[in-house]
Amino acid sequence: MKIEDKSTIKVKIILPEGRLDAQASEELEQNIETLIEEGCTRMVANLDRVEYISSSGLRVLLASLKKLRKNQGDLKLVCLKPYVMEIFEIAGFTNLFEIYDQEDEAIIKFKGN
Amino acid sequence: MVHSINSLFLILIEKISVIVIIAYLITRTKYFSEVLKGKFTHKNKIGLIFIFGAFSIFGTSSGVEILGVVANVRDLGPMIGGLIGGPLIGIGAGLIGGAYRYFIGGFTAVPCSIATIIAGLLGGVIYKLNKGKFVGVPLAVTFAALMEIFHMALVLLIARPYTEAVCVVQETGLPMIISNSFGMFIFAFMIVNLIKERDTANERDRYFAELERKKYELKIAHDIQQSFLPETVPSLKGFDLAAINYSAKEVGGDFYDFIPISDHQIGLTIGDVSGKSVSAALFMALSRTVVRASAAGKTLVAESMKNANNLIAADAKSGMFVTLFYALLDLKERTLTYVNAGHNPPLILNGKTGDLTLLRAKGIVMGAMEDSELEEKEAKLNEGDLVVFYTDGVTEAFDEDFNPFGLGRLQDITKKYHNLSADGLIVKIMHEVRSFCGKASQSDDITLMVLKVEKIEK
Repeated sequence: MKIEDKSTIKVKIILPEGRLDAQASEELEQNIETLIEEGCTRMVANLDRVEYISSSGLRVLLASLKKLRKNQGDLKLVCLKPYVMEIFEIAGFTNLFEIYDQEDEAIIKFKGN
Repeated sequence: MVHSINSLFLILIEKISVIVIIAYLITRTKYFSEVLKGKFTHKNKIGLIFIFGAFSIFGTSSGVEILGVVANVRDLGPMIGGLIGGPLIGIGAGLIGGAYRYFIGGFTAVPCSIATIIAGLLGGVIYKLNKGKFVGVPLAVTFAALMEIFHMALVLLIARPYTEAVCVVQETGLPMIISNSFGMFIFAFMIVNLIKERDTANERDRYFAELERKKYELKIAHDIQQSFLPETVPSLKGFDLAAINYSAKEVGGDFYDFIPISDHQIGLTIGDVSGKSVSAALFMALSRTVVRASAAGKTLVAESMKNANNLIAADAKSGMFVTLFYALLDLKERTLTYVNAGHNPPLILNGKTGDLTLLRAKGIVMGAMEDSELEEKEAKLNEGDLVVFYTDGVTEAFDEDFNPFGLGRLQDITKKYHNLSADGLIVKIMHEVRSFCGKASQSDDITLMVLKVEKIEK
């Protein structure tokens, strides 16, 4: 998993890869936790390389969303694969998260604050 | 018998070989390993004092005589006793060995017995200075060499006539220093190895204990989950209802429930908690109970589930959520009024046309957000209709290449075998899922509930 820095407006891009099963989700959670501890409140998760997401993955994303929104920040999602999008739709997560097709679309939404 | 320096050397080294064996035996006793760990008891302290005292006596009696003086490794026992057990054991062993030497007599009796006691004392002092940790091979050997030099110095200081003392030191000095240092090397090397062995064993034990704990935790999660599932399926007039749950090896998360509403209405629940752990199992118990309490006796479906969601959301920590499909079955009206909070929409097969549709309704998973909205819908049920409720353990059952079973296959089987009883269809679906997965093990809980609409009793 990679983490990139779009430091012009302090947005961190998270790029998880592969299957987000229980173990991978734990790793993702720790990475996000570290970023939050470092003071990051603006994150974009690019799920272009994620082919499958388990309920643990959903839980981690939801928990991170709640934490970031509590700190006046947000977690936006981009590039969801069709299978993953379907899971999000069933779970109703499409009504909770802001989801975009490209990183820039998501990043630009942060500028307003 | 007069020995040359060389043969003296050889003899002493022979003696050292015996000492290697004794060292091995002593370091493998229970007393020794306890004290090495720092666990002192009266028993092991006294035991070691006697063991090292005896070793000291052995050192004296197995020595080699030169000019009426015996070159030996008497000091070794008390030194080691002190180094690993502290001043008490060192001095105790030294007193035993020293007393034995003193009563043998000779003109070096006094300096030699004193040296033996001091050897134990100094070993103990080093132990204290190093806070009870063994000092390691180089320092121990240096200590032994210096101690023997000190021993020789004492002989020169105390033994009289002086000229004979000088002779003794000249003849036996070097052999004493070297043999005691070598003996110490043997012991110290063994001790360092013992410590390493013990540390590795401890690490391995910690690792295994951790594994056992994790396994036990998952077993508890499983038992909690099972205890919250219904024991029987209610028999409903005009309907054939069946349900099954297979939990994956040790996880807990899926649940289903039958909730009494009125004499002609019953609530059907199916849900799935995120994650696999004791906390997921407890969250499942919470959710199932809150849903039951919010729905029992209530005919307003969306409203009771919204209440349930608020209660669950208040307790949901670290993003935990539960997907839920709740339907109120009216046995008289033959309707299904339902809401879907993020759960896999159940299949409904039309008995007449054979068409398959999904019971979709808008709603976010329970516990994610307070006051979230749930869309309420109603389905009319006719004779021959079939409803299949399931959790993602069915559609996401993977084969060895990570291909999912998929909704498509579930739909095909439902269509093909819709004439079977509710029980029969469940068995058929399970059979197909198991043969699809092949050797791949079940990765998630599987829950299936089938409701078949029978002839209306007139």
